[in-house]
Amino acid sequence: MRLADILDRSGLDVLGHLERALTVPVIDGLQAQGDLIVVPAPMLGTVGVHSFASWEPVPRSGVELVRGEAGNNPHTLVADPGTCHWTTGVRDPLWLAIGMFSNTSPVYLVHPEHGGSGVAPGRWVVRRQQERSGGFRRNVLVAD
Amino acid sequence: MSARRRRPCRRAAVLRDPGPVLAQWHEAVQLRAEWTGHALSTAPADRAAAEHAVTGLYALLGEPPPAFVWVPSPAAASVVVPPVDTGAASGPEPVENRLATLVFGLRERLARSARVEPVEFGWNRPPRVDPEAALREGVPLRSVLERVAAPALRRAVRESLVALIRAGTPNLPDFTWYGQHDADWVGFYDIHRRVLGTRFGVADTAHFELWASLARSTGWWWPRAGVCVLADRPAATHAEPVPDGSGERRPHGPAVRWRDGATAYAWHGLPVPSWVFEDLTVARIAGERNVEIRRCAIERLGWTAFIDQAGLRLVSRAADPGNPGAELQLYDLPYLHWGARTRLLLAVNGSVERDGTRRRYGLRVPPWFDHPVDAAGWSYGLTGAQYAQLQRRT
Repeated sequence: MRLADILDRSGLDVLGHLERALTVPVIDGLQAQGDLIVVPAPMLGTVGVHSFASWEPVPRSGVELVRGEAGNNPHTLVADPGTCHWTTGVRDPLWLAIGMFSNTSPVYLVHPEHGGSGVAPGRWVVRRQQERSGGFRRNVLVAD
Repeated sequence: MSARRRRPCRRAAVLRDPGPVLAQWHEAVQLRAEWTGHALSTAPADRAAAEHAVTGLYALLGEPPPAFVWVPSPAAASVVVPPVDTGAASGPEPVENRLATLVFGLRERLARSARVEPVEFGWNRPPRVDPEAALREGVPLRSVLERVAAPALRRAVRESLVALIRAGTPNLPDFTWYGQHDADWVGFYDIHRRVLGTRFGVADTAHFELWASLARSTGWWWPRAGVCVLADRPAATHAEPVPDGSGERRPHGPAVRWRDGATAYAWHGLPVPSWVFEDLTVARIAGERNVEIRRCAIERLGWTAFIDQAGLRLVSRAADPGNPGAELQLYDLPYLHWGARTRLLLAVNGSVERDGTRRRYGLRVPPWFDHPVDAAGWSYGLTGAQYAQLQRRT
């Protein structure tokens, strides 16, 4: 699917300079979008789902996986209705996972600056990026 | 039968027409913009109005009108304002203390009338809500004002401008009042009384008017016994939109400049010392102890220029998995200047910028990684071998 089609379907937008006619590749494996990484769930044996986690359907308009806290841009997960469920009820000993999603057809991550990333069917952990800090908190999350 | 009849009634109470309350909300938004405008005003101070209001406050304390000293900026005030009166343990309290007590009493009574918490703790911030959706669902306007309008005013004024000017003005005298930058709490109670019709009582309303008048007319000011020092409003402010689509703005660059040339600087909302803009060198960056300021300064200089000029030692380099043509580089940060031992991973963005280039960014990583792919993997909680499987980066 082309970036322009994903934007049409979801009503999202990206910055004007990104090439919209390019096909967004659907990848069955590890891929990163800025400060987020999509990891195949089997690769992370230590990350699990809480028993009380609720799996929410992802609507066509998408869900924001990371909302800008210090003015950074949102990463939005968009999917055809009924093909993808996601949850934030994950437990990660490194505190980097922000959610997990499970999809039966390709879904797309959209970011205003990074454009689109296609994710093949499967179960995926979404993690944020960390950085070493000199201060009291040894590691801090990266925002872009 | 009767139960059947009651049910639609109840539903009607919940789904009442949201039109009137939305109109009230829009009125509140307009007032909020008006008060933010006062906080950002760069017009010369309305000296007559400000002096009249200060005289009124002194009168509430039973003091005669003070002598007025006008200075061009808060920085200029530090040499003019008399030191705080810490004199005799007995006898009446100094004017500045009594004025503080006076206004805290006022704010407590206003908060009680408006039924809000008088003290706001920054770390106990409620999550952002969509005001119009909340009002349509029947949330009372009073709650929406407290949850949305008050934090927005506080973010626009106290947490950005006041924090910025305080950070940029060393030796600021004690007992500072903010004039136009008291517009956040003044504006909030003004919205309350004008939109919700909250009544504060005759005496408190008259007292409140004095603070509202100060917020409309002057910059920061310092009351002392027999004399009051007031600073002019800034000559220029500079801000940029916060890139989260909220429409809010944050200070950036020479964010506040007064008529005597004094300037408070910010880097994308974060207060930074003047050297970041006026005397940016690697030595200044390395000597800075605050990591956030250091980051801002490096970003302003550019990572590539910084690494060149700082002479950082390259530990190793490797191709960036999933990012064709790009390279990961691992550098040693000079221990003495950077506090805790860390290494710097320099990476290249997977997506192009508006100008067609790819931005480089530096990431601090633990010192025990010698291979850049291991270090990059760590940043996502992965091993180097896992990270090497990265297929695509955007």
